[in-house]
Amino acid sequence: MPDYAPVDLTGTDLVEFELNGRTVKAPAGTMLVDACAANGVEVPIFCYEPRLGDPLGACRQCLVSVEGIPGLTTACSTPVAAEMMVDTVSEEVREAQDGILELLLENHPLDCPVCDKGGECPLQDRTFRFGPGESRMVEPKRHFPKPLKLSPQIALDRERCISCYRCVRFSQDVSEDGNLTMSERGGRSEITTFTGDSYNGRFTGNVIDLCPVGALTSIPYRFTSRPWDIQNTPSVCASCSVGCNTELTLREGEIKRVQGRDEPNWQVEEGWLCNVGRWGYGADQAPQRLRQPILRDGGETRECSLEEAVAAAGLVLAHEAHTTVLLGGDVTVEEAFIAKELAAGPLPDAQVGSAGVVGAALGPLRALPAAQLGDIDGADLVVVVGGDPANQHPVAELRLRKARRAGARIVLVGPRAQELESLGESIRTAPGNLAEGLTSAVAQIATVKRPLVVWDELDLDAEPDAAVVLATALGDNAAASQLELTSEVNGAGLRALGVAPHSRLVDQDLGGVLAVRANPGAGPGGDAWNRALDSGGPIVVIASHHSELTERATVVIPCSSHFEHEGVLVTAGQRAQRLRPGAAGPEQSAPGWEILIALSHRLGVALEYRSPRSAFAAATASAPALSGLDYDTLGDLGAEIATSPASDVNGAGAPRAHDGEGLPLVTGRSVFGGPEAHLSEGLVVTATGEEAVLHPAEAARLNVADANLITLNSPNGECTVRLRLDPGAPEGAVFAVRGVPGGTVESLLAPDRAPVNVTVNTA
Amino acid sequence: MTAEEIRAHLDPIRDQFAEERSLVLPALKFAQGEKGHLTGDDVTEVAAATNLTPAYVESIASFYDRIYLDPVGKRVVSVCVSLSCMLNGSDELLEHLCSREGVSHEGGTSADGEITVQEAQCLGACDRAPCLQVDAEETMGPVTLSEADAVADRLRAEPQPRPVLR
Ligand code: SF4
Ligand code: FES
Repeated sequence: MPDYAPVDLTGTDLVEFELNGRTVKAPAGTMLVDACAANGVEVPIFCYEPRLGDPLGACRQCLVSVEGIPGLTTACSTPVAAEMMVDTVSEEVREAQDGILELLLENHPLDCPVCDKGGECPLQDRTFRFGPGESRMVEPKRHFPKPLKLSPQIALDRERCISCYRCVRFSQDVSEDGNLTMSERGGRSEITTFTGDSYNGRFTGNVIDLCPVGALTSIPYRFTSRPWDIQNTPSVCASCSVGCNTELTLREGEIKRVQGRDEPNWQVEEGWLCNVGRWGYGADQAPQRLRQPILRDGGETRECSLEEAVAAAGLVLAHEAHTTVLLGGDVTVEEAFIAKELAAGPLPDAQVGSAGVVGAALGPLRALPAAQLGDIDGADLVVVVGGDPANQHPVAELRLRKARRAGARIVLVGPRAQELESLGESIRTAPGNLAEGLTSAVAQIATVKRPLVVWDELDLDAEPDAAVVLATALGDNAAASQLELTSEVNGAGLRALGVAPHSRLVDQDLGGVLAVRANPGAGPGGDAWNRALDSGGPIVVIASHHSELTERATVVIPCSSHFEHEGVLVTAGQRAQRLRPGAAGPEQSAPGWEILIALSHRLGVALEYRSPRSAFAAATASAPALSGLDYDTLGDLGAEIATSPASDVNGAGAPRAHDGEGLPLVTGRSVFGGPEAHLSEGLVVTATGEEAVLHPAEAARLNVADANLITLNSPNGECTVRLRLDPGAPEGAVFAVRGVPGGTVESLLAPDRAPVNVTVNTA
Repeated sequence: MTAEEIRAHLDPIRDQFAEERSLVLPALKFAQGEKGHLTGDDVTEVAAATNLTPAYVESIASFYDRIYLDPVGKRVVSVCVSLSCMLNGSDELLEHLCSREGVSHEGGTSADGEITVQEAQCLGACDRAPCLQVDAEETMGPVTLSEADAVADRLRAEPQPRPVLR
């Protein structure tokens, strides 16, 4: 959690002021606390947080003296001006800061040795640095029955709260759920929710990072570690393609905690995480985790060692006349690159494909200037085309809300009813009509200074004519930029390596199959995939968790999860970012890249990469979009890859016809119902499920009732799912949530996600 | 109470307040006039009428001793527990009234629903400590324990005044 806002001391708008007798510089208008920090002087704070909007001045901890201002003033809410004379260390200031700390500690229990925050607590640290050595309080402190469950994941110890309002401001002004509140005032102040219910939401965990004391703590993490026996590693969240920068906490070989970084990535997540990013690490310890390699021989299944499994994999694949390599959408650049090399050499007559869509008409859009999430801040118009950022790319929601608060106009165009519609103008389009629905947004793009379009890869792939309209409109405004919300975590990385989607392979004879973090049977066109896999040769699976595919594979090789290995993901905004291992993973598992290298040895053509770093170097040399990048340039914050040159859309810009009878099907994924949400112990209570949604009038016409199980049929498959009626849902389409583990919505879709219609019946 | 009704009440007084936010108190008082207390729905309506979030409105309401988020009795007796009154025996006064009305020592509403006893911060009558206040109308002190009994008996006998701002 960043205490102070970053200050650019290299600009031209700097003013000089005096700080503790030194002449220093900062941009005019910077808050004094930030200007001091940038010049190496720490002013203690509690309520101030640069990301929470205007300073509140609730705690008074930051008192300093400024010549000309009578008394002392709060540095968190005083902007720097030229020739200001600031003193942060005089006796008067020292006494005041000490006094405030004594007051804050009046009701705060001195239970640091048993408090989960002890050792990494701003209140504790600042008391040592700026505060009183002793308390003069003899009166009893506040006592509460301890602790309260603010939510299934957040514990509240009320007596520790210092009423800084950070958590309340997050709820009111950042996530805008508005549910956290301070009841009563003064000595009786208490954090509570308006509804009196649990504080549930997509981003609630951030209040834990924000709390400067031990009042709000993470229930899954509580009492598991002490700050002196943990190790923190910067990494990246791989639960969706936003790619939030995280800090992993390791203890005794396991990930115990994921939190926002102290030094956030201001271009990406700004230090915020969604709850799945924060608590999804529990999936690593789930019973579904693969911990032992498996061999299936005839009817016999047995566990074996890693070496044996790799040897067996090499053996079965080498015997095939030809082979197919299937990659998941979240394989790292290194894994994908090595897998490609395997296919080009050691594997017999191999073809490679990955999860994801072809997106033939998306080239021109992608060739336009790419924006980062952080660029949304400066836009005056943000057009969100398709998708459902709140559920599919959660942290993007916080940027959109921030832009709205800063005065940007938000326009949402797409087929779904979604929560963010209240942010601005919302244009709902019938499936197939997106291009037409964009008319007003296109007109607005032409007239503003800094338009930014946030677009959903799948929705625009389904409506190529809309993609063409959008690319033209953006191309006409030189200041416009675009941000693709990719469906696959490393979709942009796979594209940069030239790996084409595997949908084209489903009708072919697969031969021997090597699947890396892939499970096409559970994806679009699952039935067709299962038929293809049934008639193909032996299957070798490299995966971190059990799946339908590991159940039928000849060889199963457990690999590291994304918390356990090193590699690069190219996330939204074409940003290459480094995963770093926070834990080692199960003993009988190995990083995917290492398994693939070992396999190359077994196949007789050894690839010589000794580390992910060298594999990445080779990948950048082979892929123009990645050229110039290496692990050091990516560093902790990542870097943008080169934009691909505009390709010709040719015939791909025509509308795509819907296949099948009945109503058009619109699907969406929710991170909050995805595998991490269902597998992680801390999240499973709040995980959402599969469902279909219809407008009540549509349901009446179709003669299906709320909360009943219904059967949906498309040319690709059948799915039985619970129906929810929602008057907010547009008529004329069926909406369904896909991507829930064990769900079947995805089987309705074609392997290439071509648009489909479905018939609806009571199950 | 609906946001419409609350807005209709606020519109004529709107220009008396420099900040729109400040309308929240008159809005809460007005909305409370209906039932004598505010329900969660009332808070939501006040929020809608004042363009604030329900949580924020509730947070304000929770602070004021005379805005009630739970049902109260027909009459409310507030016992000041601030410094002067405390030094002059408000603890006993409060304890006495509470046990007399059969409520917990932190206050509450009598079983017959007639009287609510509650703590209050300084009522501005330090010269008459220990003092108490009936509804928001009548402040008296210094009050002895037997005088407090007499006040409670009188309130039971009296008809409830309307409209009440308790
Ligand atoms: S709970 Fe923590 S973040 Fe919230 S007001 Fe109290 S101290 Fe601040
Ligand atoms: S940090 Fe300045 S008043 Fe709290």
